[in-house]
Amino acid sequence: MTKRRKWTTIPALLVVAIAATALSAYSGASSAEGRAPVQPIDFPHPVHVQKLGMNCLYCHYSANKSPDPGLPAVGTCMGCHTVIGPDRPAVAGAPARKSAELTKLVGYWNTKQPVPWVRIHKVPEYVHFPHMRHVKAGVTCQSCHGQIQSMQRVSQAASLNMGWCINCHVNGYQPAEGARAAGYPPTADQVAATPRKARYDCSSCHY
Amino acid sequence: MSTESEPAGVKRRDFLKVVGAAGATTALVGCGTSEVERLIPYLVSPDQTVPGVSTYYATTCRECAAACGVIAETRDGRAIKLEGNPAHPLNRGALCARGQSALQGLYNPDRFRGPMLRQPSGQLEPTTWEVALKLFASKVAAARGAGDAAFVNQHETGSFPAFLDQWLAGQGMPPHISYDAEADAAVIAANRQSYGVAWPRLDFGAAKLIVSFGADFLDTWGASVPQQLDFADARAKLADAPRFIYVGARRSLTGLNADDWIPAKAGSELAIVQALSGGDVTAAATASGVPAETLQRLAQEIAAARPSLLLAGTGGAGALELATAVNAFNQRAGNVGLTVKPADALLGFEHMAAQSSMRDLAERMKAGRVSVIMVRGANPVFTTPKSLGFAAAMRTVPFKVSFSSMPDETTALCDLILPDHHSLEQWGDAEPVAGTLSLQQPVMERVFATRATSDVLIAIARGDATSATGAPAYAGTDYRSWLVARFPGGAAALTAALPTGIVRGSVASPAATRSVAPRRQAAAPAAPASGDFSLVVYPSPVLGDGRGGNKPWLQELPDPVSKICWQSWVEVHPEAARRLGVEAGDLLTVETSSGSVTAPAFPYLGVRPDTVAISLGRGHTAYGRYASDIGVNPLDLLSPDEDAAGGLTMRSATARVRKAGGHVELVTTEGSARQHGRGIAQALLVTDLRGGGTQAPAEHAGDAAAAGEPASEHGGEHEYVGDASHAFLPGLRSPVAADAQGDLANPASKEKGMYDPQHWSGMAKRRWAMTIDLARCTGCSACMTACYAENNIPTVGAPWQGAKVLPDRTGAGANILRSREMTWIRLERYFEGAEHEDGHFDPDFESRFVPMLCQHCGNAPCEPVCPVYATYHAPDGLNVQVYNRCVGTRYCSNNCPYKVRYFNWFGYGEPARAQYAFPEPLHMQLNPDVTVRGKGVMEKCSFCVQRIRETEHLARLEDRPVAPDEFTVACAQACPSRAIVFGDAADPRWTVAQQVDDHRAYHVFEELNTFTAVVYLKKVTHPAPGQAPRAAGGAH
Repeated sequence: MTKRRKWTTIPALLVVAIAATALSAYSGASSAEGRAPVQPIDFPHPVHVQKLGMNCLYCHYSANKSPDPGLPAVGTCMGCHTVIGPDRPAVAGAPARKSAELTKLVGYWNTKQPVPWVRIHKVPEYVHFPHMRHVKAGVTCQSCHGQIQSMQRVSQAASLNMGWCINCHVNGYQPAEGARAAGYPPTADQVAATPRKARYDCSSCHY
Repeated sequence: MSTESEPAGVKRRDFLKVVGAAGATTALVGCGTSEVERLIPYLVSPDQTVPGVSTYYATTCRECAAACGVIAETRDGRAIKLEGNPAHPLNRGALCARGQSALQGLYNPDRFRGPMLRQPSGQLEPTTWEVALKLFASKVAAARGAGDAAFVNQHETGSFPAFLDQWLAGQGMPPHISYDAEADAAVIAANRQSYGVAWPRLDFGAAKLIVSFGADFLDTWGASVPQQLDFADARAKLADAPRFIYVGARRSLTGLNADDWIPAKAGSELAIVQALSGGDVTAAATASGVPAETLQRLAQEIAAARPSLLLAGTGGAGALELATAVNAFNQRAGNVGLTVKPADALLGFEHMAAQSSMRDLAERMKAGRVSVIMVRGANPVFTTPKSLGFAAAMRTVPFKVSFSSMPDETTALCDLILPDHHSLEQWGDAEPVAGTLSLQQPVMERVFATRATSDVLIAIARGDATSATGAPAYAGTDYRSWLVARFPGGAAALTAALPTGIVRGSVASPAATRSVAPRRQAAAPAAPASGDFSLVVYPSPVLGDGRGGNKPWLQELPDPVSKICWQSWVEVHPEAARRLGVEAGDLLTVETSSGSVTAPAFPYLGVRPDTVAISLGRGHTAYGRYASDIGVNPLDLLSPDEDAAGGLTMRSATARVRKAGGHVELVTTEGSARQHGRGIAQALLVTDLRGGGTQAPAEHAGDAAAAGEPASEHGGEHEYVGDASHAFLPGLRSPVAADAQGDLANPASKEKGMYDPQHWSGMAKRRWAMTIDLARCTGCSACMTACYAENNIPTVGAPWQGAKVLPDRTGAGANILRSREMTWIRLERYFEGAEHEDGHFDPDFESRFVPMLCQHCGNAPCEPVCPVYATYHAPDGLNVQVYNRCVGTRYCSNNCPYKVRYFNWFGYGEPARAQYAFPEPLHMQLNPDVTVRGKGVMEKCSFCVQRIRETEHLARLEDRPVAPDEFTVACAQACPSRAIVFGDAADPRWTVAQQVDDHRAYHVFEELNTFTAVVYLKKVTHPAPGQAPRAAGGAH
């Protein structure tokens, strides 16, 4: 086995590799899919949605009327958590305890600081994504955000790449599939419905 | 694979290791997930606002005295756009460039961020409100009752002047001076004398003939927006429209809209009016330099026109006499009540103090009779002639307070700055027309740590222990409660009135008019010595008296007449320029007994050969980064002489003009002032109008439905002169549309996909289009500013933005010299006639204004040349530019016959770059609905696609179709001439669909078969009765 290595070809190959990576990044083929950053408060969607049955629109209050889905104000959290405070009583055999996450929440509220949530879902600035049109069209939240109701920590479920968008716009959205994703049995109408298509003209989203 | 057989070199495993590591690194950098973006929620959700959806507040524009109504669009707590309030009686939905630019005053990066105190070192340093108010209170207490305080307020109507006088009276101080440097003091004084009101409403539509003696009613004379609305409506009557004659030494923007120009010498207008009233025509001809037969023809025409409308302008030494004579003429001719309506007066100009009160103040200061001067809004150090010595006089005042929120030449002398809120941040009201209150409310949280002056004054009065001395008791702690207490109907009525912003009512108790008698009357202008020039100084239609200079939109907005921006210029006739031996851009020194300025020459047909003209507005020394050290201030040339009404005389000086040596390039956006037979701006003689009507011949009505037919048939039925074929068929001739291959781009498919009008998306059912009526357009350029505001267009002319472009050039506008301006819509101005090889003076020329924007061609030359499909035709008729596809080859711009595509050379939208156009907090104005473009990307008019999509979203949410004329684009919305109409040309219910069938309709460069979606309606010219039309005044 020779110990001599000739590295002369490496730079050229490196350039090719970097160019390919850069090109794929530029084309949007890269994605933050699967990213699940640590949040300043470990907000449990399952407790609020699955256990308590809260509607998504309670907190994300403008998803059906604005391009922006809305982020709950700290005051919205405190609407309930003034009563359900950090000191949790003993329930069903579990001892009384102090909730670290609610302590943080109350701390933000008392110091009049907003919670600096880490953004997960983001399309580039040159894309205009109107939430309300999708909600209006009957697209369930889970169609894009995955099983968010059961995510202890939210992760990005879809790539949010253009190909992923266009797939639905061109081939159509299946209401029955959306209902199943949201955990509901699809209705007969939904099953019978033809896939719902949407405009895929560039200027629908890019302007 | 054996190691022996492997040649000496890199092993596969090593290679993969290296590449893998490199790839991972690149991926980490490239995908951007390492950058943490935060989502910051509200602490408590504000009521009735939806994130991402605009909230609109009605308020009042304070950029000039007129007080138009505006609707401020706010998004997530930030004002992003100002539009005219359609319900407002004054501006009826329109708004001028200056009004729209108020946003850049609000977000100006150079605003005071809090109170400032002058230190012993002479520097202004930030201080706290507590310290500042304590100091102010002590100075007020010291000056109380002494009667030697002075308060100068930017002129405004409404409750504030009365509030201020009440406060001043409570402190034992004399009433304030309501100062406006743009005031036409002579006209106001004459109107008060003749009609008892400062500014009667002028009914241009009722007149058969309009004659303006230097009254620039489309520039700054009076309330320009309502006057422009009325004038454009009058001209839109086409055959029944009034003829318009302009008399004056310089053809202003208003003058360029006239059918005829009578170039009378500056100051000779009075002689002409006297001649019209039976005076000596020969003497008038001699004085004015106008042939006697021209004056006789004018007299005959005026006598024949009933009713007529004569208007007197501003500025000469005899301004009051002229205005009085013109009013008398109108009264004699029976025009009052018909074209001049004192009963329907505009109140914005009542109680306005003229130049004389500033002179009086300067004299008092010089004499040591002013112990405290307080200034709010106004900038008298800049807007009074240097020869008046206001600055020197003000320096002698022991304590000088300014409430300006923007550093300017006056605050540079002040000891204490208590910055006021911007008008968009505070409460107030105005009374623009009798019986109507226009309300002013904060449209957003304050940007900086400013305080409303009214609140400061109340705090001072309330905090004063010795208020028994007369400080009135203020029940509330703020001005709003003071307003509510006086508001008819109280708080509930105010709340009810806020959504429309207007309410019937009056603030009554106007402050007593105080006037200072003019003491130094100007002598009649001496006949210029041979070789001398008359000097005309005029307020800029864009920058006004200079207050617009700190707003980059206005600095970059080309002057409607000269098309020059970011620069001062001297207008000189080509003949005179030849005499002086100068060409465009050669520096000229203009010198009077009061001073001199040096600026580049702009040879202009519309100025008398014995006259030079310079615009006000530039030459600031301390008005923020966008205004300082740009251009010259022609007030340096004026003597402090006043006319008989106490107004500044801006047109009675004589000046020596000489070549200064040296040359600068004119920062102009103009290519050529001539059309060279291209037929861009077409016109029609009024006599060639068919029946005077605006309706299309019947045979055109059915054409709109016949999509897909060849469009260029001339048809033979258009026998009227000047008509071009203008078949305008909704449909698409784009190669993209023709080649469209179904939904899935299947090459074998015969389907046209979304380009098929029957397609499920319905996109191709629409054909977004625009008509621009050149009979209405006055060239004011408000559309351009509206476009800048709506579409996040960067300004590129600031000095530092050009520093890297032309290293040898230190001035502003370097990018514009290289034609790198980004304006998506531009206002082209062309001259017709007066084309003489020898350049001799000929006033008989016509100007034409054409707003030029992307024509959204149905068969667009830009589309097939794009190698990356970044520009293409959308099924609804838009020529779309996809920024994220664009790689910047600029082939499209090269192939565009209209030159309406703009390349972003330097990343004007990228904060990290030196060329960044939106320094904090200017970026808060950016429209979130429109991408801020980056470097290396082509951009252009999008037909406000964001508004189209927004309307479609709204209609869909409400389960209804988009209603005809439901929305319009930014330029059309702002247009104070109502020249621009936007809509769906494929749906006959939209106004635009009716307009495209007008027999005046034409496409620019129709011969190129571009099938544009922008349709122009020809201008209509009105030659003098019995006169042959000028040679070039026909169809082209």
